[in-house]
Amino acid sequence: MNAPATTGVRLEDRVNPILVKEVRQALRGKYFRVLFWITLLVGTLIGVGIVSAIDEISFVETGRVFFMAIFGVLSAAVHCFVPFSAFLATSAEWDENTYDLLIISNLRPRQIVQGKLLSALIQALLYYSAFGPFLVFAFLLNGIDLGSVGVILAGSVATSVALTFVGIAASSLATNKVMRVVLMALFGAGLIAAWGMSMGLAAGITFEPQVLSSIEGQVAFVAYLTVAVVVALLAQSIALGRFAHEEENRSTPLRVMSTVLVLFASAWGAWLVQQFGDSESIFACHSGAAALLFFPWLISSTEPEELGRRASAVGPKGTLATLLSAPFLPGGGRAATLCFLQALLAVVTSQIALGFTASRALRLDNSVLAVAALYAYLLAYTVLPAGVAAYFVQRRSARVLLRILMVVAIPVGIVIPAMLSMFFGSGPGSALSHPLNPFSTLYDIQFGAPSPFTYAVLGLALLLALLVNAPRVFAGLREVLRARASRVQQAEDAPRA
Amino acid sequence: MKGALEVRAITKRFGALTAVDAVSFTVAPGEIMGFIGPNGAGKTTTMRICSTLELPDSGDVRVDGISVTEHPREARARIGFMPDSYGAYANTTIHEYLDFFARAYGIRGDARRSVLERVIEFTSLGDLREKHIDALSKGMKQRLCLAKTLLHDPAVLILDEPAAGLDPRARVELRELVKALAGMGKSILISSHILTELAEMCTTVTVIERGTVRGSGSVESIARGVSGIQRIYARSIAGAERLERALLELPFVKNAHIEREGVAFDFEGDEAAAASLLATLAGAGLGLCEFAPKTVDLEDVFLSLTEGRLQ
Ligand SMILES: Nc1ncnc2c1ncn2[C@@H]1O[C@H](COP(=O)(O)OP(=O)(O)OP(=O)(O)O)[C@@H](O)[C@H]1O
Ligand SMILES: [Mg+2]
Repeated sequence: MNAPATTGVRLEDRVNPILVKEVRQALRGKYFRVLFWITLLVGTLIGVGIVSAIDEISFVETGRVFFMAIFGVLSAAVHCFVPFSAFLATSAEWDENTYDLLIISNLRPRQIVQGKLLSALIQALLYYSAFGPFLVFAFLLNGIDLGSVGVILAGSVATSVALTFVGIAASSLATNKVMRVVLMALFGAGLIAAWGMSMGLAAGITFEPQVLSSIEGQVAFVAYLTVAVVVALLAQSIALGRFAHEEENRSTPLRVMSTVLVLFASAWGAWLVQQFGDSESIFACHSGAAALLFFPWLISSTEPEELGRRASAVGPKGTLATLLSAPFLPGGGRAATLCFLQALLAVVTSQIALGFTASRALRLDNSVLAVAALYAYLLAYTVLPAGVAAYFVQRRSARVLLRILMVVAIPVGIVIPAMLSMFFGSGPGSALSHPLNPFSTLYDIQFGAPSPFTYAVLGLALLLALLVNAPRVFAGLREVLRARASRVQQAEDAPRA
Repeated sequence: MKGALEVRAITKRFGALTAVDAVSFTVAPGEIMGFIGPNGAGKTTTMRICSTLELPDSGDVRVDGISVTEHPREARARIGFMPDSYGAYANTTIHEYLDFFARAYGIRGDARRSVLERVIEFTSLGDLREKHIDALSKGMKQRLCLAKTLLHDPAVLILDEPAAGLDPRARVELRELVKALAGMGKSILISSHILTELAEMCTTVTVIERGTVRGSGSVESIARGVSGIQRIYARSIAGAERLERALLELPFVKNAHIEREGVAFDFEGDEAAAASLLATLAGAGLGLCEFAPKTVDLEDVFLSLTEGRLQ
C-alpha cells in the first residue's frame, strides 16, 4: 500500500467502515455490475431508436418523448434496483451471521444504517451520472425546459433516498429467512408500483410543465418532497431500532417520530387552511399522515410486552413524569396507549387548527369528523388486531407473520365484504361501499352522509379496541411504575452499599 | 478483578426453558478455562451473555472489572468473542475483512496497519491476505475469525468451539496459539467437545449440564470433588481375583473390577481411611506390589458429572 498524504489518511479514517465495506462489495458484486451495463445498454438502444424515428414525431414532442424514455430506464435503476440492493445488503447481515460481529465491534446502529444508505446512494449517483449525457441530449432536442428537468430529478433523488431507507427498514424487520423472502416479494412489488408512479408524475410534468407555475402545483411538489422526507425519517427510525441490540430500547425514537408526525400534519393542514381557506386540507394532511402512521403503529403495537432490563434501568423520578413517559417506552400495551393518545391528539389539534386559523366557531367540522373516522379506522386495523393477537402470539417468527397478515388484512377487509354483497345480490355499484372500507366511508363523510350502520360498526370497533387492549394498557403502566419504584429503591440502597 | 472474566450467578430463560441457571465461575488472567458440556447444555448462551450479545435475566458478568449489563460498550472493547458460526462477507478478501473490523473497532491510520500485520502474522495468514474469504477452507476461516477476534487486543477471549472441523495439524496449531495468548496474560474461556484437546491446553475446566455448573476447577480437583471419590489401582502377587474378593469386603470400596493384572476401584473414604485400607491389604498376605491413585482424565470427569440427558 502506498503512503497517501496525512490529510488523506485522516479522511480515510473518518469514513464510515460500513460504507467502505458496502461500496467494495456492491461494486465488485454481480448484481450491480450486470444491472448497470444492462440499464445503460437499454437506455442507449431506446435513445437511438427514438432519434432515428425523429421524422415521425413532431419536433417539440421529440425532446419530451426522448426524455421520458430515458427517465423511465433511469427510474427503474434508481427507484427499483438501488433500493432493492440496499434491501439485499441489509439481509446479508442476517444471512451471513455477521450481525453479531457488528454489534460486538461497537458499531452504532446509526453507522450501520448510514453506511448502507450512503453506499446505495453512491450506486444511484453512478446511474445518474451515466445517464447525465442522455438527459443533456434530451434538453438539446428541445421541448423540455431546465426547470422541469430540475424538479423531476429532485423528486427522483428524494424518492430514491426514501425507498432506500424503506428497503433497509423492511429487510431489518425479519431476521427469519422465510419471512424475509415474503417481505422481499412485498417490497419488490412496492418498488415496481413506485416506478410506475414516478413515471406518471414525471410524464405529468414533462408534457404539462405549466402545472409547476401554479401555486397548487408548487404546493403539491413541496408536499411530495415532504412525504418523501417523512417516509425516509420513519423508515430510518425503524431500521435504527432493528439494528440496535435486542435488549436496547428500540422503540422510543419511532414513537417520538410518529407523535411529531401527527402534530406536523395538523400544523401543515392549518397553514393550508389559512392559505386556501379550504377546511378539507386538514383532512388531506391527516390522510397522508395516517397512511404513514400505519407502519409505526403496526410495529409498535405488536411488540412484546416486556419493558426489558435496560429500558427499566432509566427513566424519570416522579410518578407523574413516569406515567407521561410510559407510552413512549417499549412494549405493545404502552404502544396501544400511545396510538389512542395520538388519535385523540390528531382530532383535537385538527379542530384547533380550523377553529383558530379559519376563525370558525368551535363546532365539529365535517373535516374534523373525517379525521376522527380516519384515526378510528387506523386503530381498528392496527391496535384492535394487535390487542387480540397479544393474547396468543409469543414467538418472534409468529410476530413477523402477524405483522404481514395485518398488512394484508386491509385489502382483504375491503374486498371480501364487497364480494359477499355482490354474491348476495346488491348491485356491484354499491358493493365497495361498506363499513369496513375506510375509503368509501371517509368519502361519504366528506361529500355525503354515511349510514348510521357505518357509524355503529366504527364505534363498535373502537370500543372493542379499547376493551381488548385495556388489560395490557394497564399492565404496561403498572410495569413502568414498578420499574420506577425499584429504581428509587436502588438509588436509596446505593450510598449504603 | 483486573483482566479477569467473572461470571456471577447468571440466569437466562427462553420461555419455559432455563438455558442457563445461576452459572458462576471466574477465569483469571493467564488462565485457559475449558467449558464443556453436552449439546444444549447452555455453553453458547453463557458465552453470548459474557459477550454482551444476550442479556441475562439476572446476575452479571464482569470483564476486566466492567459489568457487561451496565456498560456493554466499554465491556465489548475488552472482549474478543469468536462465535461458533461466524459470518463471511461476499466479495471480500482476508485483508479487507480484517481492515473492516479494525475500522469498526475505531483503530486508525498507522495503528491499524500495524495491528493488521501483527494479527495476520500471528495467525499465519500472510500468504493468503489477498484471497477471497468465500474461497477459504474451514481451517483458514477459523484462523481468520481468530485473527478478527484479536484485532483490538482484548483482555478476555471467549472462543466457542474454535477447533470444530479442524484437521489434527490445525488443532495442534490452534492449541499453540491459544497457549501463546494465555502467556500474554489473557483470560481465555474456550468451549469444545474434543476433551483430549482441552485437557492438553486448559489449566481449569467448568462442566455444565442443562444450564447448571456440575463442577469447576482443575481436572484433578473436580474429579476428587465429584463426591469425594478417588479411583485407585492395586495389584498383588496373589492374583487379581483374590485381591478383588478381599477388596469387596472392605469399607468405602465401590465398583471394584479387574483391569489388566490388577484391580481398579472407587474409594469413597478420606485419607485416614485410605491409610487403614492400605495397612489391611498389606497385612492380608496378598503380596501387594502396587497401590496408587489412578490418574483421571477429562473424559472420566465429564462422564461422571453429566447424565447424558439432552435438554
Ligand atoms: N434464542 C434462543 N431461543 C430459544 N431457545 C434457545 C435460544 N438459544 C438457545 N436456546 C436453548 O438453550 C439451550 C442451550 O443452548 P446453547 O446453544 O447454549 O447450548 P450449547 O451448550 O452451546 O450446545 P452445543 O454444544 O450444541 O453448542 C438449548 O436447549 C437451546 O435450545
Ligand atoms: Mg454451542
